[in-house]
Amino acid sequence: MTTAPAETAFHIQEPLWKIRLRIAWKGLKQSWALFTENKIGLIGLGIILFFGLMALAHPILMHTVWEPNIYDPFIGNDPTILQHPSPPSARHLLGTDPVGRDVLSQLMYSTQSEFILGLLAALVTVTIATSVGAISAYFGGALDAFFMRLADLINILPFIALLVVLTAFFDFGMIELALLIGILSGFGGTTIIFKAQALTIKVKPYIEAAKVAGGSDLHIIFRHIVPNLMPLAFLNMMFTVTGAIFSEAALSFFGLLNLRMSWGIMINTTQAAGYLLGGWKYWYLIVPPGLAITLLCSAFYLVGRALDEVVNPRLRRR
Amino acid sequence: MLKYIANRLLQIVVTLFIFFALTYFILDAQPGDITLQYVNNPKFTKEQREALRRRLGLDKPAYVRFFQWMGNTLRGDLGESYQYRKPVMDVLLERAPRTIFLFLTATLIEFFVGYWLGRVLAWQRGTGLEYGITVVGAFFYTVFTPWFALMMIYLFGFTLKWFPIGKFLDVNLWRTAPKGLTANQIFINLLVTMTLLAVALVVVYYLTRRMNPYRASLIRWSALIGGAAIAVGYWAASPVAKYAGDILYHMALPIIVLTLINFSGTMLLTRTTMLETLREDYIMAARAKGLPERVVRDKHAARNAVLPVFTSLIISLPFILGGGIITETVFSWEGLGLTLLTASTTGDIPLVMGSFLFIGTLALLAHLVADVAYAFLDPRIRYA
Amino acid sequence: MAEKPLLSVRNLTMIYKTRKGPVSAIDDVSFDLKRGESLGLVGESGCGKTSVAMALLRLLPDNAQITGGQILLDGTDLTQLSEDEMQHVRWKRISMVFQAAMNALDPVYKVGDQIIEAIERHERDIDPAEARRRVEALFKLVGIDPKMADRYPHEFSGGMRQRAIIAMALACNPDLIIADEPTTALDVIVQDQVLRELRQVQKQMGMSMIYISHDIAVIAEVAERIAIMYAGRLCELADAVEIFKRPRHPYTVALMSAFPSIVGEKRPLVALGGEPPDLLFPPPGCRFHPRCPRALDICKQQQPPFEDIGGGHYLACWNPAPMVEVQS
Repeated sequence: MTTAPAETAFHIQEPLWKIRLRIAWKGLKQSWALFTENKIGLIGLGIILFFGLMALAHPILMHTVWEPNIYDPFIGNDPTILQHPSPPSARHLLGTDPVGRDVLSQLMYSTQSEFILGLLAALVTVTIATSVGAISAYFGGALDAFFMRLADLINILPFIALLVVLTAFFDFGMIELALLIGILSGFGGTTIIFKAQALTIKVKPYIEAAKVAGGSDLHIIFRHIVPNLMPLAFLNMMFTVTGAIFSEAALSFFGLLNLRMSWGIMINTTQAAGYLLGGWKYWYLIVPPGLAITLLCSAFYLVGRALDEVVNPRLRRR
Repeated sequence: MLKYIANRLLQIVVTLFIFFALTYFILDAQPGDITLQYVNNPKFTKEQREALRRRLGLDKPAYVRFFQWMGNTLRGDLGESYQYRKPVMDVLLERAPRTIFLFLTATLIEFFVGYWLGRVLAWQRGTGLEYGITVVGAFFYTVFTPWFALMMIYLFGFTLKWFPIGKFLDVNLWRTAPKGLTANQIFINLLVTMTLLAVALVVVYYLTRRMNPYRASLIRWSALIGGAAIAVGYWAASPVAKYAGDILYHMALPIIVLTLINFSGTMLLTRTTMLETLREDYIMAARAKGLPERVVRDKHAARNAVLPVFTSLIISLPFILGGGIITETVFSWEGLGLTLLTASTTGDIPLVMGSFLFIGTLALLAHLVADVAYAFLDPRIRYA
Repeated sequence: MAEKPLLSVRNLTMIYKTRKGPVSAIDDVSFDLKRGESLGLVGESGCGKTSVAMALLRLLPDNAQITGGQILLDGTDLTQLSEDEMQHVRWKRISMVFQAAMNALDPVYKVGDQIIEAIERHERDIDPAEARRRVEALFKLVGIDPKMADRYPHEFSGGMRQRAIIAMALACNPDLIIADEPTTALDVIVQDQVLRELRQVQKQMGMSMIYISHDIAVIAEVAERIAIMYAGRLCELADAVEIFKRPRHPYTVALMSAFPSIVGEKRPLVALGGEPPDLLFPPPGCRFHPRCPRALDICKQQQPPFEDIGGGHYLACWNPAPMVEVQS
């Protein structure tokens, strides 16, 4: 008799992770159905995929079709063309820049680092904001007051001005910039949003149940509150990516970042070489990087908006 | 209310103090600043170097120097700019009105355009127009600002020649200006005019807030047009009309660009909050009362939806000011943002700290003003 | 039935179009309401009570569609009116006391102004001072200090807000008031007061009322006739006394047994198994048959007609409960 319940339980139950996976899969499918209802979100996703393919294609092209000493994004130069910059041709689909480097190759190469920058910044932001938000909401009191005042403080700082000063006086690369943006926005406004959401989770009955069942504070925060913040986190990541890519491009445009190549630097090079107002003739120097920045930022933003309608039922049509 | 403002002012002072301490020590920690260049110059003997270090105060610990700097700042002395060989305070006092005027105008226009369009957008839910405006709005919201501004300059300044390129005035015209007339006077007077106009409009809005929306919007529009006409008339009749016109002409393109960049944020947010507000029971109640759709939309839905939109404007004020660096740089508009950027790239630390102080204070004050204004919008808020 | 009814709902049918398909929220609902009469509409949540109220005012969400039937108010079919004409029916002829009174007042305007707004909408040339006097009179009528008219909603307590909503509903002297669970958010004592006041005012002013609730005890206090609704259809409609004494529909019987009588005899509690049907795929025949203890084969195939079985007692059932006098 004593072993019977355990045995039946064994027969009925699948392993816990399988059940969890199934629930997660079901939720994902439902969210996907809601997401696909919104054409705007799909457009965004399409653009992101397009840029993702570009980023992946660059190393492949470099190894196969493109000759390294001509198409290298930093030191390439096409000796068959006498005058650089040269307009788009069969050899160089988007032309060459003032130093003779292939614009398309630069554009594709930069895509990788934009993704890394954006996603790293978003990850840092969301990690900080989720934990700080959950902890603030759960414990309240002095800890909460401290984090919220800190967020207020960061919120009223002129963000770009601060970035300009810091990057002007210190050596900043892609990773450092991503970390800085992540930390600033993680402790700043994003935390306030997450804390508000965590507060609504904190009063749910299952949190009470977990407490009664003897769950430790940390267990409740990271097993029950944080997972429920995930949809919001995912949504917020999209907006942070937009902000990060934009900041990088702006700082590179001012020539403040210590990077070898990025979309912002491509515009900066064009401007520094004086081709900016040289007429529509040199469109291939400025339109591709400018449009790439804009499109990728828009794409993440559009996906974020579409996710907002999935996460926030008040925005749904029915 | 007064107590609240006093509290907030105190908070601003504390914030600024922390902000400056941070910036000061961070800049102090950076390698290769301008003082070190002198100190490490091999032509200097060791004794001379020590003397220079003492004279520049570099022998003292950083916190002592910080409090000295803080004390001087409180006395209105921000040191001397390396670049301009002029007191930092003079440089900044000359440039601040340009930034304030440009951004105040652009922000006001941006907010009203965005709010108005967002209202329409929410009402057009599910139509092709909504998708169209949303995509265009998202484009402007995320467009790479310098690139967009350059394209606009190229199109309107270079190709079409509708607007002047760069700077905030026409140097040739100003050579003929009467003695004693400076661009700054004009900026400050324009600023005063606009503030008066804005205050008058707010008062009209407040007085008409409970009226039937048809009548209210009629009165508001006539107040806007009438007020603008009076302001334009006053300036046209003044002896410096030519010079003020020159400045406004130079300002047109930056304002158009700033409005285009910023309106969509307000517009998209207004749409979202409108959609949320439309689900509220009081909207159902307003419809049940037999009110026409336009009254439901403008008097009830939009009026409630404006609250979070305004809050978000308050939050984004520092960002707009900071983002001004980009716009000012592209348009060579010599305001605070451009000053901060050039000072940063040339290592002109006193000017960096000074322009930082100005931008920070401006952002905080704008924040406070907007906060107080919010109390008039939402009766549930009582700053006690 | 000599007197012409004020409101006559004929075969009203309404669906909600959803992603998964049409939801049949109101199906073939008919009832009459005389001038000055008070009708209670009872049913569990989700059965379509509120949809009926919203359909009467034509305040349905975008995805709702009235697919058939008529709503005759003094002989005018409301389903055929233009949106513009309908606006003049709202509040002037039919007003409503909302379910969530807490949120039915716009937070940014003074309560008095919100009532004046309704008065001015329907009486264009009313003198502002006159409108103001009417608001104060209404406030007195529902038991609020007239000075409160100059306060904002957040300064009102729950009970006061509900009273203000009632005052607002009375503002244009409508022919019909729809009260949709107006007291659910209030505590029991206030609930009782508000209920009594509402009933008193309605009688005093000679208005008709449709009172919607899931709570048959509340309905018993305010309604002269009671209609029972289940899954989008009416199953029984009769005088209040008749419904309580001689319930015939098995669903009504189950509802009544859930309403314990303190003074009467003990009766068995009929527990209903199962859950109300998914209106995306309503069961064929009588919608109650899957849960009905008296279900026959015909119940699964054919919808029972909603007919007068004598004395204004309407019933839709193939196999009604035997006529037993229930003591109460």
